[in-house]
Amino acid sequence: MHKILVIEDEPDMNELIVEVLEAAGYKAEGVLDGITALERFASMQPDLVLLDVQLPGLNGLEIAKKIRQTHGTPIIMLTARTDSEDIVLGLEAGADDYVPKPFDSPVLIARIKARLRDLKTSGSEVFTLGPITIDVAGHEVRKDGVRLQLTPLEFKLLETLAATPGEVFSREELLIKVWGYKFEPNDKFKPDTRLVNVHVQRLRSKIEEDADTPHFVLTERGIGYKAGSN
Amino acid sequence: MRKFLRWLYAFFRRSLQARWVAATVILSTFALVSVGGFLSYSIGSGLFETRQQQILAEAHRAVVEVQNTFTASASADTETLQGLMNTVIPNLESKSSSSSRSVALLRSPGQSTGQYLQSPVSLGLDASLIPDSLRNAVRSHISKLVYKSVSLPIGANTHPGLIVGAHMEIPVAGAYELYLVYDLGSAQETLDFVQRTLFFGGMALILLIGAVSFYVTSRIVSPMRKAAEISAQLAAGDLEPRMEVSGDDVIAALGSSFNTMADSMKAKIEELSKLSQMQQVFVSDVSHELRTPLTTIKLSAELLQARVEELSPAAVRNLEKLTSQISRFESLLADLLEISRFDALSVVGDFELEDLNGVVGLSLAHIQPLADSKGSSLEVIIPNGPVQAEFDPRRIERVLRNLLSNAIEHGEGNPIRIEVGQNATAVAVTVTDFGVGMTPAQVARVFDRFWRADPARKRTTGGTGLGLSIAQADTNLHNGWLQLVSSPTKGTTFRMTLPRKQNILFTQSPLPLGRSRS
Repeated sequence: MHKILVIEDEPDMNELIVEVLEAAGYKAEGVLDGITALERFASMQPDLVLLDVQLPGLNGLEIAKKIRQTHGTPIIMLTARTDSEDIVLGLEAGADDYVPKPFDSPVLIARIKARLRDLKTSGSEVFTLGPITIDVAGHEVRKDGVRLQLTPLEFKLLETLAATPGEVFSREELLIKVWGYKFEPNDKFKPDTRLVNVHVQRLRSKIEEDADTPHFVLTERGIGYKAGSN
Repeated sequence: MRKFLRWLYAFFRRSLQARWVAATVILSTFALVSVGGFLSYSIGSGLFETRQQQILAEAHRAVVEVQNTFTASASADTETLQGLMNTVIPNLESKSSSSSRSVALLRSPGQSTGQYLQSPVSLGLDASLIPDSLRNAVRSHISKLVYKSVSLPIGANTHPGLIVGAHMEIPVAGAYELYLVYDLGSAQETLDFVQRTLFFGGMALILLIGAVSFYVTSRIVSPMRKAAEISAQLAAGDLEPRMEVSGDDVIAALGSSFNTMADSMKAKIEELSKLSQMQQVFVSDVSHELRTPLTTIKLSAELLQARVEELSPAAVRNLEKLTSQISRFESLLADLLEISRFDALSVVGDFELEDLNGVVGLSLAHIQPLADSKGSSLEVIIPNGPVQAEFDPRRIERVLRNLLSNAIEHGEGNPIRIEVGQNATAVAVTVTDFGVGMTPAQVARVFDRFWRADPARKRTTGGTGLGLSIAQADTNLHNGWLQLVSSPTKGTTFRMTLPRKQNILFTQSPLPLGRSRS
């Protein structure tokens, strides 16, 4: 049974989310402020964090950053603000996905399921991109022999691109392959392609010398992304 | 030439200063020409009159003297007489530079006396210059001096001249006529000189007047021009520029009151834009703040729904109402937020080359259940093949859904007709209903927020009252048109026209906006 930490300052909302998650078969626990959240995170070691961005005390973005310093635990933001800036800030702070309020519980559950999916591929390949080696079985990325700290999602993104260098993936394809989403073209809760953009940017900042002039994860204008080794 | 004239006309239309300078120069030229003409005329006539009187007095003296000489020699013979003539007459000649005088002594024709003496005539004088009219006058006014102005050929030029004639009785020889021919060339020269001086002086004066009026008008026009430039900048939205104010005159007053006006305008505009920004932020904040409680309500309703079998039938009905109102609340919030984004100008289209038919199909599929519930059939007329254009498919589908649900809501269960069209520069969709229709006054307000044609009419299709406002904003974002025609009891046609590409200007929609029932 997966453990989920719900960080939401609105007590009613917190209680309801916990109830919804428990009804869906998860072990959920709610905390109301940022400082307790970090303590609970350390003691509980959850499999996933649901994080409200607008928190009193320690702000949601700070919590995401602090968690990311030590853990790759999936983080899903809950946000009432859906303007580009708010979303991008949250994703840059380390969140893997976001669910805009007001949400339907099935959508929330679907997103959680996708994030808790086992990202480990059964294969035992080792891909290389120039100085970067990606050991799929060992779930490990090294650049010039030095091990890089990637979140599971960043790892999956790099693995997907590096498996077929030069092949261009559209953002929608990556949402399906990496994030594990299934959606219709006009789904009201269609995941946002900004997820891909921000994650690519995060990945670049970890593996590239200069994230603004990438050599390994390349943008194909108007289409999507591909891996390169030059 | 015509081009030049047109340019000149445009130049004068454009430049106040040019008109002022031209008017000043033209008017002062008129004044100078009249004054100069008058001066030149009166100097000329004065000059000639004085000279003429001098000449007449001189001639009179000469004539009397000559007559006396001849009378005194009454007893002389022909030879003496001829000698006398040959000395006396040439003595009358003068060749001074100021006035030259030639002489001719001519025998009056038609005399019976046979005596014939040779007539002395000054060298270089053509006796035929003396007109017959003058000679006749001399003969008929025996005791008087007779004169006439003539022009004298001198070399290649002609000089004005005066011929004075007098009758002369010469003993033995009979009647003679003495003609004194005066060359007035020097007087003419004086006059020419005066006229030349007047002309060049006048020209210089006109140039000077032109320059002075240019200077004076530029002193007045340049602040006006500056004011025009600055007000154009203000009108273009740059609220910073101000006029320079120096001195204490009317121009300075213009400058300082202009600046005061600009200051108060700037203050007002800034205040208004601050207010409007505050309002946008407020609407956006309210919409966001409502989301968390709405989510709580929604989750509660969902949890209740999960245990629906434990509820009493009355509670189930209440839960249904709650659920439907929650979803209405949700769309209202979403629409409000969208409107506030448009108001804040923070909307950016996500343009892609797409097939309009596909988007029409999606929106029809989406709206079909609503149409079925109202009993309206959807008649679709689309061209064969794709209708490619560059647009934001999510927004255009939303526009179409709004138009369709609007048509269904007001269509009274009659069929709804959807037509797609294209031409070289634009693509279009019309949505026509044959329902209640609207009066022109209602049509004018149809895009107003939360406006309803008939407030008593119940909203049945769950519209938020913002749909058409958003549809219009979305169409504007595409540089397109959203237009309608409507007549009461007949129905309404909405037409959305979009450019094929975002940088294309189109002038004609591929579909007519007229209404006809097929």
